Amino acid sequence: MLLTLAALAALALPQTDTTIAVRPGSRLDVNNFGGSITVKAWNQSTVRVQADHSSHDEIEIAAGPTVVSVRSSSRRGGPHTVDYTISVPAWMSLTLSGIYTDITVEGVTGEVTAESVQGEIICRGGSGNVSLKSVEGALTLEKARGRIELNTVNDNITVTDVVGDVTAESVDGDIELTNVESSNIDLTTVDGGVTYDGTIKDGGHYSLSTHDGDVELGVPPGTNATVSVSTFDGDFEADFPVSVTNTTKRRFTFTLGSGSARVEVESFDGDIHLRRPGQLGPGKHRDKNHNDNEDNQ
Amino acid sequence: MTHWTDRLSDYLDGALSSADRLDCARHLESCAECAATLDELRRVVARAQVLENRAPRADLWAGIASRIGVSSPGITSLGAERARRRVAFTLPQLAAASIVLVLLSAGGAWLALSRGGNHEIPLTVSRRTDDTAAAATVSWVSRADPKYDARVAELQKALDEGRGRLDTATVRVIEKNLQIIDAAIGQARRALAADPANQYLNVHLADTMRRKLDLLRTASALVNART
Repeated sequence: MLLTLAALAALALPQTDTTIAVRPGSRLDVNNFGGSITVKAWNQSTVRVQADHSSHDEIEIAAGPTVVSVRSSSRRGGPHTVDYTISVPAWMSLTLSGIYTDITVEGVTGEVTAESVQGEIICRGGSGNVSLKSVEGALTLEKARGRIELNTVNDNITVTDVVGDVTAESVDGDIELTNVESSNIDLTTVDGGVTYDGTIKDGGHYSLSTHDGDVELGVPPGTNATVSVSTFDGDFEADFPVSVTNTTKRRFTFTLGSGSARVEVESFDGDIHLRRPGQLGPGKHRDKNHNDNEDNQ
Repeated sequence: MTHWTDRLSDYLDGALSSADRLDCARHLESCAECAATLDELRRVVARAQVLENRAPRADLWAGIASRIGVSSPGITSLGAERARRRVAFTLPQLAAASIVLVLLSAGGAWLALSRGGNHEIPLTVSRRTDDTAAAATVSWVSRADPKYDARVAELQKALDEGRGRLDTATVRVIEKNLQIIDAAIGQARRALAADPANQYLNVHLADTMRRKLDLLRTASALVNART
């Protein structure tokens, strides 16, 4: 009995805790079939890998001159789930991937590439190229800078306090960007709402598009933009006066200030709202829980 | 008073039902604006019919094809199509035609749009506002483009064959989202059938078709990764 309890206790304890030195400019590459990957920045020039895993699994850490690779291998049966907690220097670039894997990144300043199939991805930090992709999981990005690419199929995308070019795509999910400083925005979903509350810079390009959902755009006072609005079966509403200069059926254009930036807002079957920053409402964005319930039916 | 501006071309072509034609005729008797528009349509059609046939000067299909992920053009022979196509215009198309006629009166640019009896439809112009110079050009493409359909079928087949290697929940999610996209494509097609010259609908349909390819590619990549 005691031996059994001891064995169970051993299985519950972290099985791996390894710290290795890394060279400046190195990249961390983690692939995890299932479980979680949590990466946190710390103020040291080493990488610490802690992993909770089955005693049948072995964690393989390979430290090359430019890449630190972390994988697991199973001594019995197929791949099992592993929960990683990895501490890295803030500057370290990350490549994280998995199938049934939730991914969380905290506080890094390097590039981030994270991909999962059935997993949520949360990234706080990152610069340069930041790419988050999932099939079934929500994407959350905060406090990143650079060229940002976000792609999910069946969930929402939420971006907050970000600086840089943002491309975000979903099929069945909302896209919401808040407090974003950018001159290049491309947001598109098929079944969901799109919200952008950020800068509209002179010369910038901003495209917000959905098939079935509302579009909400925050337009700061003093904006210089040529705004093109298209909707097949929806209404247009602005919290401030606009003077339409070019109208065709279901499509019209108006100019704000000098018209320098180019803004395109489109919804096939939804309303388009132009608000002042900070006044964007919930619109008709769906509650993801409701969506999940539909999925389970 | 409800104007008939958007259906005057149909009236001119005799494409309205008897009841609609009667309503339209009554409206024209009392609406100077629609009557003037109808006169303008008649003039443009008359001028277009005497112009020499000529292929479009710019092929927009390459750009559209790239947007929806189809590599090769699906352009049909203008001559063959023209031989069995009647000339029919919608108001926006006629507006574009008027501009071309004015600018190219000596050269005789040819511009015509098909509708109705065959499946070939005009896929017009560009998405961006800075491409408006191309807005007067029309490329003939098949909305049921065989290259696109073949690529979709190929990827769908790969997904069907590989579904056993994917988690059932993943397969369910992919299929649900494909249905969402298919529904969107269907809605866009129906809207475009009613308003073929609508630039937004053209581009929206192309974008949505491209999204289907993207999702199928993603699914195919998942299958390959699990192989």
